[in-house]
Amino acid sequence: MSALRAVLKRFVPGPRWGVILPPYLWLGLFFAVPFLIVLKISFSRLAIAMPPYTPVLDYVDEALTLHLNLGNYVALVTDSQYVAAYLSSIKIAAVSTLLTLLVGYPMAYVISRLPAATRNVALMLVVLPSWTSFLVRVYAWIGILDGNGLLNRALMAIGLIREPLHILYTPMAAYIGIVYCYLPFMVLPLYATLIKLDDRLLEAAYDLGAKPWRAFLNVTLPLSRSGIVAGCMLVMIPAVGEFVIPEMLGGPDTLMIGRVMWGEFFNNRDWPTASAVAIVMLLLLLVPILIFNRVQQRELEGRLS
Amino acid sequence: MSVDMAVRPAAMPHETGGEGYVRIVDVRKEFEGFVAVDDVSLDIRKGEIFALLGGSGSGKSTLLRCLAGFEQPTRGSIWLDGQRLDALPPYERPINMMFQSYALFPHMTVEQNIAFGLKQDGLPKEAIRTRVAEMLEMVQLGKLARRKPHQLSGGQQQRVALARSLAKGPKLLLLDEPMGALDKKLRSKMQLELVNIIETTGVTCVMVTHDQEEAMTMATRIALMDQGWIRQVGTPDEIYESPANRFAAEFIGPINLIEGRIGEDKANYVTVLSPALPVPVYVGHGITGVQGQEVAFGVRPEKVWITKDEPDQPCNKARGSIEDIAYFGSHSIFHVRLPSGVKVLSNFANQQRWASEGLTWGDEVWVSWADDDGVVLTS
Repeated sequence: MSALRAVLKRFVPGPRWGVILPPYLWLGLFFAVPFLIVLKISFSRLAIAMPPYTPVLDYVDEALTLHLNLGNYVALVTDSQYVAAYLSSIKIAAVSTLLTLLVGYPMAYVISRLPAATRNVALMLVVLPSWTSFLVRVYAWIGILDGNGLLNRALMAIGLIREPLHILYTPMAAYIGIVYCYLPFMVLPLYATLIKLDDRLLEAAYDLGAKPWRAFLNVTLPLSRSGIVAGCMLVMIPAVGEFVIPEMLGGPDTLMIGRVMWGEFFNNRDWPTASAVAIVMLLLLLVPILIFNRVQQRELEGRLS
Repeated sequence: MSVDMAVRPAAMPHETGGEGYVRIVDVRKEFEGFVAVDDVSLDIRKGEIFALLGGSGSGKSTLLRCLAGFEQPTRGSIWLDGQRLDALPPYERPINMMFQSYALFPHMTVEQNIAFGLKQDGLPKEAIRTRVAEMLEMVQLGKLARRKPHQLSGGQQQRVALARSLAKGPKLLLLDEPMGALDKKLRSKMQLELVNIIETTGVTCVMVTHDQEEAMTMATRIALMDQGWIRQVGTPDEIYESPANRFAAEFIGPINLIEGRIGEDKANYVTVLSPALPVPVYVGHGITGVQGQEVAFGVRPEKVWITKDEPDQPCNKARGSIEDIAYFGSHSIFHVRLPSGVKVLSNFANQQRWASEGLTWGDEVWVSWADDDGVVLTS
């Protein structure tokens, strides 16, 4: 009886699997499988067919053949348009991440220093805009930045400028859009680290002769590093692949990889190239994600030991 | 020793350059609708370890924070070595503080923590390194210089905090509940170690504590605080042996308080008549009081003798029965109930094994004390 129970115990999953399994199933079904399909398509050839690509695996006359077409990847490296798009994406994402940090840090800092009641209202105000549709909010920026929009009319009304500023459909507008949309993702992790900061550490710094700005540089800033890294990753990673904001606000010269992929997929119906573009983008993003994980790991180890 | 010598009248004229190295002059600190420090004046001498002792809400921490510069007094002034401090921000005061639970910078090593203050002064690197090495040697932490604070034990962290606050050679060292984060066993060891280090450097020191034992072990003088007021200032033995008022008497150590009225008030003695005692209390020194005034007579338990036979003295004795015996090993405390209902505590040092065996629950005994062993408290 007990032997049977031991065997059963070995092969019948315990109740904890009931908790562990659903997220894994979810990830497998909606992440791993689609990823493998995209990976497969990226190794195929363009074909006038339905679906519009050649199969990678072929079983003809009892022979199983694997066709790995590396042409899509070679094209990505050799065609300067793709390289330029990748570089420009990374540049735009990096610059907007930096801008978001510059705007978000002071916000998070001030919010963390507010009295508890006001603090929650302020946090609410940061998150509240995300409750309306992302598309509506980006559209609203067209109304603001337009040559005849709110911003230009306001600036001309107070006499600061005579001619309307040309902001909409330039990279500048894309930056504004990205900073605006991703600001909560920067402010929240920064706030989470800054609120934990022990006030007595700042007092200790003042007590030892540090002027307020030096206390900030030597104590507050290094101790909020994990928040800075988390916020930057949360902004940078989706910003690299951003499609909607540069499409709607940026001009034709705002070259980003998301737009290139869209063009390949919908305009050229070139699924294999589009897939290859997507895979390479994923690999590029893997680098910052790994850095992020390492920093977090080290922080965790530092606390536990 | 006069009984009420230690309370300084707040209206005493204060001018700069007087005897105090640290002078706190009529300092008042109000927070929205409540007074944390109520017109306190104190003179602290150079090289002293001065304790602010009191319970929570006594204003001792607020006063310390006023010294450090984290709080601005509502009015009054603070002087250190002839320099007026209260308008200076904390980073411009020649004062360093050892914080409660230390507030060590968690992202810096022991060395970097100690060097922090020196770096703010822009000292050359070589000078900083020498000074840090000196401080590490003083607190015997040379081997742990590269560790982070979380890798140290509580006692080690405390020594790092002390080294950090002494590194700049401050004119005044502040200690905020220095033993608060240590367990009881380590406390008594670190108290003496801390005093030794502070005395080697010769720095003037103001400490805040709620623990009377800690204040008495470490401080040369104590200011007893209550509700923003200073109730008594004095050396540990002055406060213990000659408490100025009931608060001081009851805050520090156990005491038997017996209510009564002044009988005879002469230059060299005073008697107190109490309904609780069959004979008058005779105290061998004069006080400032009037006949018939309501007072309390206080005598510490270790000065109360307990005997089976009636002691041969006309005053200062009473008969009662043993109600409780608390055995502490080194001594026992006898709770003796008098016929009037008043309870008198008596310490009995167990200097011989089984010496107290003769006395047990319910025994009829005599309690007595000598003429000079008690104090009369008028307030």
